[in-house]
Amino acid sequence: MASDSSKKTLSRRQFLKVGAAAATTAATLPATVASATTKQSIHYAMVIDTRRCIGCHACSVACKTEFEVPLGESRSWVEYVEKGIFPNVRRSFLPRLCNHCDEPDCVDVCPTGATYKIASNGIVDITKDICIGCGYCIQACPYGARFLNPETGTADKCNFCLHRVSEGLVPSCVNTCQGRARIFGDINDPDSEISRVLATNAVSVLRPEMGTKPNVFYIDADHTDERDAERYNTYVRIDTHRRQKRRV
Amino acid sequence: MQELTWGWPIIIYLFLAGMGAGAYTVSASVLLRGGGGFGRKHFQLARYGALLAPIPIIIGTAFLILELGTFMYATEASMYFRWLNLFTTFEVLSPMSWGAWILGLGIIASVVYAYTFLKKEAAPGDEMSSLRRALAWVGVPLGIAIGVYTGVLLGAMPSRPFWNTSILPFLFLVSSLSTGAAGITILKAVFSSGDVEEKNAAMQTAKSAGERDLSDYLLNVSDLLLLGLEVLGIFLLILFAYMMYGDRVDAIAVIMPGGSLFSLFWWGVIVLGVLVPSVIELKYTVPTLLHGRAFIMPRNLELSLATFILLGGLMLRYVVVVAGQITGPVGI
Repeated sequence: MASDSSKKTLSRRQFLKVGAAAATTAATLPATVASATTKQSIHYAMVIDTRRCIGCHACSVACKTEFEVPLGESRSWVEYVEKGIFPNVRRSFLPRLCNHCDEPDCVDVCPTGATYKIASNGIVDITKDICIGCGYCIQACPYGARFLNPETGTADKCNFCLHRVSEGLVPSCVNTCQGRARIFGDINDPDSEISRVLATNAVSVLRPEMGTKPNVFYIDADHTDERDAERYNTYVRIDTHRRQKRRV
Repeated sequence: MQELTWGWPIIIYLFLAGMGAGAYTVSASVLLRGGGGFGRKHFQLARYGALLAPIPIIIGTAFLILELGTFMYATEASMYFRWLNLFTTFEVLSPMSWGAWILGLGIIASVVYAYTFLKKEAAPGDEMSSLRRALAWVGVPLGIAIGVYTGVLLGAMPSRPFWNTSILPFLFLVSSLSTGAAGITILKAVFSSGDVEEKNAAMQTAKSAGERDLSDYLLNVSDLLLLGLEVLGIFLLILFAYMMYGDRVDAIAVIMPGGSLFSLFWWGVIVLGVLVPSVIELKYTVPTLLHGRAFIMPRNLELSLATFILLGGLMLRYVVVVAGQITGPVGI
């Protein structure tokens, strides 16, 4: 009997121990998950307020000069979306650049690790000395943001002007924007302008169905595509202002 | 139309690497299923496959390297060797990283495997026998892995709806095995010309099935099975595209009536590459299968059959690689 009851106590104690351990794990688990997400101290993102964009291409030009982007290629460009039949018409502008996604497919597919997401600020960048120029990331990007730079033979794209941002400046396209349509900043900082704008506006991202969680947000973006012309029984024209005449 | 980031070099690479890997797998399985069978005919088939396999794999890989940006636009000598970066790391999430390692292993294994067959008097049970069998055991999974990887490579990206399907690796695997078998058939038809008459005579006089040389028959029946699986794969690819929404439906439209690749796909890949060889193989294998008649296929027919299968495999890679790049996500 005695041994039996001691066994029982033991097992009960064990049970309690296990229970306590489980409770502790349960309590700390959300904390660890939370710390994992906040570990990235800075989370750079951009909001583009298309209502303030006048389609002047100053951002495209600033980008081109900043990086001496080879002819025929672009890291940043502005698409014109024209739709409707007179008198009911609208033309809007859709500035495009790398989305610095939270789950970038380009980083996943890179066979050498040349393309990577900077852990401390979330910018997706390319190490040119490691890139072999296989073009896999160019295929994988759902936004057509990447190209093969014929001068370096490696993949190239927008890097949120890492060299400027790390010195405390804003990216060149943001700096030059006439209408202040672009807002750049850290969305982990609740007091930053971008956090306030994101919190108080209806925003959208491009191609959210690709599951990449983009970090370039748009206010009042026109998501109309050429294919919608037939569906809406209207006229739609997309001007990409890139070498690629069709939107990619 | 979008630009083709991956053009002919990649198409040729996918075709040749698949064919070489297929030849390695077919050769290795034939050897392991009884290298001494049918008066060593099986061993002879395995030998053709083994000697063939490394050549297309290596040539295909060379095309792949030539197409790299750092090779095309090299400004300094060191850039020609930049591709070696593939082997300084292993990126778990990148199919191309897996592929580089698998392909590297495949090249080494297939070269050594070919070496074990190099001597003209190579035979089952000779001094190379254990090494040969060991490499055959390695070759079956490795060849299959290369065939599968070529499909996974393309299939990994949601941004490419035509490729982003789970049936593509299966389709490429089946095609790589059938093109590998076709390569073996061509070598056999070209190099074993001397004993055709003799073989035919032996076939006709053989009294029981046991005496018959069934090695050719088995090769053709296997090929027929592979072509059947290819039809199944293509059927499922198209069927499921229509069961999806948006970008999948748009993507599959390029190979359907009105699409820019319609003719090449249906006349080239399906009719020339699959149906014509299947009909020819059915005509010759069914009498053996059902009535136990001798299997004799004229050499010219054997050659053209295999050529059709090879062309079909190349056109399949062309259609898939191009279709994937001229289609994309719907909307913005």
